[in-house]
Amino acid sequence: MMTRAAIIVCWVMAIALALFLIAPLLVIAAASFSPTPVFDLPLTGASTRWYGKISRLDGFWPSLLLSLQIALFSTAISLVCGTLAAIAIARGKLPGAGIFATALVSPLMMPGLVLGIALLQGFRAIGFTAPWATLLVAHLVITLPYVARTMIAGLARFDFTLIEAARTLGCTYPGGVLRVMVPALAPSFLIAGLFSFLASFDNYPVSIFLADVRTKTLPIRMLQYIEEAPDPTLAALSTLILAGTVILLVVSDRVVGLHRMAGTSD
Amino acid sequence: MSESSPHLVVRGVSKRYGPTTVLDHIDLTIRRGELVTLLGPSGCGKTTLLRAIAGLAQPDTGKVELAGRDITNVPPHKRNVGVVFQSYALFPHLTVAGNVAFGLKVRGAAKREIDAAVERALSLVKLGHLGGRRISALSGGQQQRVALARAIAVEPDVLLFDEALSALDRKLREEMQVELRRLLQDVKATAIFVTHDQDEALTMSDRVAVMNKGRIEQLAEPRELYLRPASLFALNFVGLSTRISGTVLAADNGKVDVETKLGRMSALGNFQAGSPVIVAARPEQLRLGEQGEANSAAGRVRSVVFQGSRTLVEVDAGAGESLLAELSGRDGAIPRVHDEIRLSWPVTETFAFPMEAQA
Repeated sequence: MMTRAAIIVCWVMAIALALFLIAPLLVIAAASFSPTPVFDLPLTGASTRWYGKISRLDGFWPSLLLSLQIALFSTAISLVCGTLAAIAIARGKLPGAGIFATALVSPLMMPGLVLGIALLQGFRAIGFTAPWATLLVAHLVITLPYVARTMIAGLARFDFTLIEAARTLGCTYPGGVLRVMVPALAPSFLIAGLFSFLASFDNYPVSIFLADVRTKTLPIRMLQYIEEAPDPTLAALSTLILAGTVILLVVSDRVVGLHRMAGTSD
Repeated sequence: MSESSPHLVVRGVSKRYGPTTVLDHIDLTIRRGELVTLLGPSGCGKTTLLRAIAGLAQPDTGKVELAGRDITNVPPHKRNVGVVFQSYALFPHLTVAGNVAFGLKVRGAAKREIDAAVERALSLVKLGHLGGRRISALSGGQQQRVALARAIAVEPDVLLFDEALSALDRKLREEMQVELRRLLQDVKATAIFVTHDQDEALTMSDRVAVMNKGRIEQLAEPRELYLRPASLFALNFVGLSTRISGTVLAADNGKVDVETKLGRMSALGNFQAGSPVIVAARPEQLRLGEQGEANSAAGRVRSVVFQGSRTLVEVDAGAGESLLAELSGRDGAIPRVHDEIRLSWPVTETFAFPMEAQA
């Protein structure tokens, strides 16, 4: 009897939490189709005109391009460097590997604001002020921990004998890495890349310290819009970003399976 | 190439890791179609020797020749060896058939040829129906078979097994030993097994190389290895034995008289008088009571272990020495614990070995 009651409590909690987490997203999506500049419930109709206004937002395209560039470059660099570092930690008998592993993921535990201020002062101290480059380096600090953490976990389960097996079957060493190690670690690469990209793309607290008038990432630009003109255009933009993320996740699931990405399978 | 010509030749191969000598001038010649086991405790160098043959470890000195070709400096992907690893090392992102096809695909074989070879290899290991499965959906025994099929599919000049059966449970392992031996003989494969399991070595091989501290102590057929061990190490590592320490009193033409704490004994061996030796005999040579031309000793039965067709009797002979007899029970009653008994064994089955640090 008690266990039954306990299970029901847990069910209710699970459903309530899911609603709590999804509700704001639903509200944003609904607001984006609002026919009036002021969002009111119940909706009196639906309109897509706010979507049309997105592209006419002041400075929207440069900011989107900048955010995509920074997210793509920082993810690509992190994937290469983070994987190599993870190999050293998971495999290379590196002295003090545990310390390096902790150091690599430590930015995850640091508040973004602290990180932002630290980076700003650090860059100023060495006279490194080019906005685009400082943003990229700062975002590497954000994305590297995601890649390092995921790849260390993935490599810990990777049997390096697989490469030897490939070599005895006719592969060169690089060939074995490409034909066996990379595909076997594909789920890890995908999840690392995904989280890295998303972490960079929506980062605000670090970027705000390094942006200048001409170099503003999309999240900074969006906050500026909301201060200037709080109409549903921003809701439309948010909905698009949300849809893009969902598509990314669904495609990833189709490719490798979310259960493998979460690391819960075999 | 004829059946008896050397197929794999290892000549003076040495390998050091830092201060440790892992392989100490190994010489080993294997004929085409022969099944040879490298048997020894962990750290004896057997896996390193296998890896040197596969090209995964580079020897410091010495040469390796395979099928008439010097492969000492040939990288593993050009050696045409097949390796079955202890962990199987199956590719998780490929299906069963994908794993078996891997070597042929890398070699750039035609698709029709690959399909035929995969089907042949999989049916050989009785997995013909599982080609489309994912590796993670297979049992340990099935994975072992896939690893074997993958190694066989490329028709290697030599098959190398690195503790390949040790991950299987005992019953399955014993079945696989017999089946694998038959399969390898059917396809006329030349194979080297690395194992620390003496039963596996005796079951699977035409010849066994007992390895210790980077050297081959003895290379012999299983039967000879058991009946005529060349060293104390080989005696200890394969099978059970009674061992009594003593000092050589007199030597005569391959025979020695040894003074032990259990009395004077005779044994086969070449030693100078005064040498400290161990005299040893296999437990099945020990009989209850006296017999002619035999060594004998008496003592009190310490334990009796019934093992089906045989019974192992351990006797405390005093002076810190013990005797181990394997009695079939056919020639007389099996003694009981605390019985005072006398055991004897023929001089021709008693061997003397130089006393050495026990392995």
